[in-house]
Amino acid sequence: MSDDKILHPEIDPELERSLVLTTVDWVKDWGRRNALWPMAFGLACCAMEMMATAATKYDLDRFGAGVFRASARHSDLMIVAGTLSHKMAPRLRRLYEQMPDPKYVIAMGACVVGGGPYSKYGYHVVQGVDLIVPVDIYLPGCPPRPEALIDAIRKLQYRIQQQGGATIQETQKTA
Amino acid sequence: MADNPDTAASPDPVTERALRIIEEGAPGAVTTSELTGRHPWIGVKAESLRDVAGLVRDHDDLKMECCHLISGVDWPDPKSETGGEMEVIYHLCSYAFPADEAYKQRAEKNDPWIALKVRVPRDKPEVPTVMDIWTGADWHERETYDLVGIRFTMRKELFRILLPEDWPGHPLQKDWVYPASYHGVPIIPPEGL
Repeated sequence: MSDDKILHPEIDPELERSLVLTTVDWVKDWGRRNALWPMAFGLACCAMEMMATAATKYDLDRFGAGVFRASARHSDLMIVAGTLSHKMAPRLRRLYEQMPDPKYVIAMGACVVGGGPYSKYGYHVVQGVDLIVPVDIYLPGCPPRPEALIDAIRKLQYRIQQQGGATIQETQKTA
Repeated sequence: MADNPDTAASPDPVTERALRIIEEGAPGAVTTSELTGRHPWIGVKAESLRDVAGLVRDHDDLKMECCHLISGVDWPDPKSETGGEMEVIYHLCSYAFPADEAYKQRAEKNDPWIALKVRVPRDKPEVPTVMDIWTGADWHERETYDLVGIRFTMRKELFRILLPEDWPGHPLQKDWVYPASYHGVPIIPPEGL
């Protein structure tokens, strides 16, 4: 086999069958979107739906996002599930900053989207988690059903692939 | 068919007995009382609360050994010199209540229970603790202090239980104002406040 055949795969039909040509970015985003590791971070009743989503009936692992980690340093997706109080907010910010880049946030449930049932008289509830951390996907519902959470994760995966894996922070920096 | 407890004219037998025992065991402790209705109660002076609490817990005819709940109420009154009153309500129940006639009347509804009410001036809301009488009162007293601002004396380390340590004020007081923000995070007050 001469060098010409290696450099030009169209010459050798065997090489055409065994090589895939793509970009590094595409492969990187493919890996990121299909291996999201969420952080086990349940604050209130939405966490029940999050647990149900990860359990056998809805099986979040089908979409590569079922490996719930107990440590922020292992995970790249934070599903904020439940009511966020002002006492919890500094802890949430610290956990977010402990997560390695790239990191994504799903605001799950009415409380973290905008205060929800506590939006008027709930002095102790942060009126939306986007006051604390940047949010990629807003998922309303009280609480959202597991199908809705799966939909949110699928939308996030689509977004990771479309935006080249940039987190919302990086998108805002460039904008 | 039992009477409607909201409009029951007959006094509650357990509370009636408790009132008699308190008046015998701690004379002058009772201020006022209400023996009928859905939730009968006995009003007690703050300085004699601990005597009364020990009495109803240890008396053989009551045995109120469980402190179910302690709640606080704010009664502001701008016309008053003290700015109104604050009220602490002790909900006590008994598992070892003697199985007599009063128990049978009460047991159809629930475990035998009584309620004690203590009123203190609003500018000096200090109530002696009952933490050494019912150990479970610890968290209830901390929560009452946290949300209503009633200070419990004669106990150590009274600090907040739910809200952050540096939270401004006590939110369930009627004249509490919403802070604009907490550590830079805005708090949106409801309309009209």
